[in-house]
Amino acid sequence: MTREQEVLDRLRDAVLSYDSEAAAEAAKEAISLKIDPVKAIEGGLAKGLREIGDKFEKGELYLPHLIMGADSMEAAIHVLEGHMSKDGLESTIRGTVVIGTVEGDIHDLGLRIVASMLRANGFKVYDLGFNIKTLSFIQRAKDVNADIIAVSSLMTTTMPFMKDLIEALEASGLRDKYSVMIGGGPVTERWAKEIGASAYGRDASEAVRVAKDLMAKRRKEIT
Amino acid sequence: MTAPSLWEVLDRACNTGPVMTMKDFDMKVFRTTTRLVKEHDIRYESRTPVSSDDGLADEAWKAGLELFREVGSYCINSGRLIRFDDTEIKEGLGELRGEASVGEGGERRQLTLRGVEDKKPPTIVCGGVIESNFPEGENFVKLYQSIAQEPLIDGFYVGPPLQSSEGRLVRSGSPLETHSGRSMATWVREAVRRAGRPGLHFISACTPAIANVAAADPVDGLRRSDGIVATIMPELKTDYENLNKVTFSHDYGCVKHIYNGGMIGGWAGGPEGALVVAIANAVMAIMVYKIGIGSSYNALGYLRASAPNYSAFVTRPCVWGSSIGSQALSRKTKIINTCVAMTNAGPGTEMQLQEITSAQCAAIPCGREGVSQGARRFKVRPLLGSGLENQFWGELAYALAGIKRDLASTIADEMLSRYEGKITRESDGGPPGYTFDEIYELKTLTPRKQFTDMQIKMKRELEDRGISFRY
Repeated sequence: MTREQEVLDRLRDAVLSYDSEAAAEAAKEAISLKIDPVKAIEGGLAKGLREIGDKFEKGELYLPHLIMGADSMEAAIHVLEGHMSKDGLESTIRGTVVIGTVEGDIHDLGLRIVASMLRANGFKVYDLGFNIKTLSFIQRAKDVNADIIAVSSLMTTTMPFMKDLIEALEASGLRDKYSVMIGGGPVTERWAKEIGASAYGRDASEAVRVAKDLMAKRRKEIT
Repeated sequence: MTAPSLWEVLDRACNTGPVMTMKDFDMKVFRTTTRLVKEHDIRYESRTPVSSDDGLADEAWKAGLELFREVGSYCINSGRLIRFDDTEIKEGLGELRGEASVGEGGERRQLTLRGVEDKKPPTIVCGGVIESNFPEGENFVKLYQSIAQEPLIDGFYVGPPLQSSEGRLVRSGSPLETHSGRSMATWVREAVRRAGRPGLHFISACTPAIANVAAADPVDGLRRSDGIVATIMPELKTDYENLNKVTFSHDYGCVKHIYNGGMIGGWAGGPEGALVVAIANAVMAIMVYKIGIGSSYNALGYLRASAPNYSAFVTRPCVWGSSIGSQALSRKTKIINTCVAMTNAGPGTEMQLQEITSAQCAAIPCGREGVSQGARRFKVRPLLGSGLENQFWGELAYALAGIKRDLASTIADEMLSRYEGKITRESDGGPPGYTFDEIYELKTLTPRKQFTDMQIKMKRELEDRGISFRY
């Protein structure tokens, strides 16, 4: 096994063992060996996080494991990003998502799972949390130049705030700038169509697939 | 010595408790739970959905108690921990009287303790259908009338959401939702009056506290013999809305109904962790929501699987955890604990009856004092819910009193094996079932034959398996 492969494996294993310190140390080692940081992320860290995501889907690991794995990856990326060009860093990101639960809704468990699964699949995720006002979603999406705004609702009485988001984006001329995906217990595909959302995700796994599809569509539109 | 008063608890929640980030709290819950599961050697046993292991129930109780003592609970508005020491927890447990009363006049019911495999019938049978998106007005009245006219029903759960209020869309936290809380209580009183049971108990489950406050009216609305639902949020968390509900119930003097559980796949980890957290949540109901004060009862309800691919209740690990949680609380506390069945299938389906059976097998033979909140489909569709499944809910609760846990496990195992493969993403959890107007002839408010036949068939099958129906 080459030295480079050893370090890539250490990066992967650090994520798999939820060890932020080990991940940061392995990242420093990668820098000292002049391993391309993009390779360190994709061939090491991301592999570990994807493995955790796969085990989550099989019911072998749970939400806290996804979060601990993502934290470890974040610690390593913090070391690597100082040695990467902006383009290089962006090339490792599948898309940027601003996510949260709508105003008046304090359910956050499903939201955290979707956010973690998106991270595990290469998305840069800005998790705003719960009870988020419509304009806060839009402001944050502008601030981080998001591709997707993902919103959840766990109550029929908070679903109308999803419609508000679409209307606010339309009113401000930003509807085409962001894809909007929605989900949550009472939310249906029919509701997504009714309010003009870009997509609906029934659960975390489907949300990842839908987000990937949306990104593919966006890239196609650009080219 | 007495346990910390509600005012002391609120002071800790709002002013004096140590500050912590929510993520740190969640991770502390996870790490502590994981450690306690190992220390107490709690292992999920899929082949035994209803456990007969007294030792396991006792270990689960110890682990849940230790979890609460170590991490306390968390107020998400203030970011403060609400913690208690050993002496305070002991005093809080000592406040439980093991009884509560609900309802008025001829509909007054006394809730008392039951033991594991107790022959004593359930002391309360509450129905309900919430989260079914009913239209306001007459159909809403008829729905609850269909439940109230069931003689075994001692009360019911009334919750959001209505489709509209005064014909206008209801949004969470809006004045229209406040108004709908008042309207629902008024219609419920009309429903129970039509059923000839004006004193029947109901539980108000409006999401904002103010909508429950608006419903309070000793004559035409939410009476002191009725209840307000306060929820413990996953895991071991509360917020000002729920504390407001508890505080108002305390001041007004109505029944507190505390809804809690444990989430499989979330901060608790797997089924074993969710069981431990569910017990810790019940201790939180005692310490933070002061369930020992006044006339109050608990619903260990939402043991729920959130992983891997589908969010579902009444799954095999949920039933397993529920059975042990029921026994732990029955053996070790004087908390009045009831059962909820958030089904994956809708009304008028065999699968819903199977799910109700599984849920109750993990409750009535395992020492729960009764059942509450009825059976209701997790996934919201308009007009889902009727008195008929509430009838089965009550009849089965009585029939299961006195049966052995081994038999309950065999029956639950059989039921689970029939429906667990149907809980899929593609089916949206299971068949949606039939709407109220499909199940009932609305003019006469009588259920249609095809649906009553289905329930009779289910009862006969359960009789063949050793269950005796008294009703």
